[in-house]
Amino acid sequence: MRILTIMFEKELVETWRTYRFLTLITFFLILALMSPLVAKLTPTIIKLSLNDTLNLQLPQPTAFDSWKQFYKGITQLGILVTAILFAGTMSQELSKNTLVNLVTKGLPRWTIVLSKYFSLLLQWTVALSLSLFVTWGYTAYYFPAKITPTAVLAGFLPLLLFGIFLLALILFGSTLGQNNYGGLLIPLFITVILYLINLVKQLHNYNPLSLIGDNLAILQGTKPLSQLLPGMLVAIAASLFLLGGTVVLLNHRKI
Amino acid sequence: MNNHWQLLMTNLPLFIPLVLLEVGLMLAALIHALRHSHYRFGNRVFWIVVILFIQIVGPLTYFVFGRGEN
Repeated sequence: MRILTIMFEKELVETWRTYRFLTLITFFLILALMSPLVAKLTPTIIKLSLNDTLNLQLPQPTAFDSWKQFYKGITQLGILVTAILFAGTMSQELSKNTLVNLVTKGLPRWTIVLSKYFSLLLQWTVALSLSLFVTWGYTAYYFPAKITPTAVLAGFLPLLLFGIFLLALILFGSTLGQNNYGGLLIPLFITVILYLINLVKQLHNYNPLSLIGDNLAILQGTKPLSQLLPGMLVAIAASLFLLGGTVVLLNHRKI
Repeated sequence: MNNHWQLLMTNLPLFIPLVLLEVGLMLAALIHALRHSHYRFGNRVFWIVVILFIQIVGPLTYFVFGRGEN
């Protein structure tokens, strides 16, 4: 347990010194600030680009437009940047042989995997929660609407849980791949497969992808959170499986 | 014109932190690029141009792909 804590601290220092955390949190905050702004400016932009020739009656933007932008930004660009930033988590250490000294001195290999995973999870949670509160604050300020905090948090929970799955997938890919691209290509490959599975309507709620697809519906109250429970369980089970797989992979790997 | 001014003023609470974040990220990347002489690829001039002229994506690319080892 003590070794795990020390390795965890090492990971946090590393992510700070390599500017990964700084980049992640800045990017997420920019996405969070852009959401209410884009929602607010879209009608003006359309009007300006049409040059007032058409007398369009555009609907006023609402709080839901702001949240729509938030979930669109985070689930597309946010996840992409997360994957790019963390793709080298394991593969860089393996290619630079920085783990050799530690392992030969008797460091259990599973602590490497777990400490890395926990540090990724902490960074994801902090960056995502901060961006949620920023968007929440601005949305409440600019678009007075009666959205209960419960609804906001219910829409947010699946996204947060999706991170558990995503980060396990990135770590697995990073360990399996021979270079930095493994951490990117394997999550991409799995995502494509999940999108194909998503074509089958009956399996939608079991698919981890529904965790990042139905947030707005949950926020608006058109879909109860409990319907996503199978998807959440599948995501958590898959992450445990992937983490176990990562430990097995690392154990069999020549460091 | 008056309309645009009003648009800017009502959205100022959003613009200020947004500009601060972008400039902050840009400065962090710029200072790092100037202090270090080793990059994974490209040279100093290339990275300074990328950081200064490509909003958000430029500094991000530098930190992820360009930053050399200490």
